[in-house]
Amino acid sequence: MNLVRATARLALAGACGLLCVGGGTPIESAAAAKPVAHTVVIEGLKYEPETLTVKRGETVVWVNKDPFPHTVTVKGAFDSHDIAAGKSWKFTPRKTGEYAYICTLHPNMRGTLKVE
Amino acid sequence: MKSSLILFASALLLAAGGAFAQGPAAAGPTDAQIAHIVVTANQVDIDAGKLAESKGKSKDVKAFGKQMVTDHSGVNKQAVALVKKLKVTPEDNPTSQSLKAGGEENVKKLKGLKGAEFDKAYTDHEVAYHEQVLDAIDKTLVPNAKNEELKALIVKVRPAFVAHLEHAKTIQAKLGK
Repeated sequence: MNLVRATARLALAGACGLLCVGGGTPIESAAAAKPVAHTVVIEGLKYEPETLTVKRGETVVWVNKDPFPHTVTVKGAFDSHDIAAGKSWKFTPRKTGEYAYICTLHPNMRGTLKVE
Repeated sequence: MKSSLILFASALLLAAGGAFAQGPAAAGPTDAQIAHIVVTANQVDIDAGKLAESKGKSKDVKAFGKQMVTDHSGVNKQAVALVKKLKVTPEDNPTSQSLKAGGEENVKKLKGLKGAEFDKAYTDHEVAYHEQVLDAIDKTLVPNAKNEELKALIVKVRPAFVAHLEHAKTIQAKLGK
């Protein structure tokens, strides 16, 4: 029994040795390479969370779960243009500040992105 | 336009009144009928929107018409997908019929108008239409929908009708200047 377990462990270690050459374990490398990402869900004509605070250089993804397009727009700063139903848009702010954004198609939709 | 609105409003009043008087279970539309009303209501606004896209004079009216086509088509796509999933066959009913009749009458009237007159008539109708659909959503469709997913879809798209109404009112005010 013990022998069987030990063999299995060896086999697993061997497999990892083969698969993970040069990069640590896949989990570790993913964690190290992945920048901090934030998600804002657009659903029922609302941005959720409505206010999001991020650090400069962190990526924000807006996911549109409504059956029609929306935008994430700050005049003079950034504009997603139409994000189709079921699609998303990524943005990585480089400047600090507080950005009040709207959907140009449904201007009563409002959200705020605070960049520190 | 007036007669179509009255027709539509009275159908809604009947439906809403019935719901209040006898309780939703006794008098309200069934899920199959609600599904039909949702699809018909969207289709009516898609048809008018297409006309505004091509016949509208102002940029605002054209853009609004185009957005109505996009938004209401999106809602209908989701509604049709849900109906298929739930294996419900949408069932025609008096509310759908008056919506359709009102829509056809509106399109007929709009086809005879041009320029600023078209823009005004289209926008006025959009304001009235969205107000009435919101009323129907709140008083008839949501209280009577039995299937949770059907109800959730209506609740989820309700804010779009509010946004459209506000947008149409903004255009209406601009056109009036």
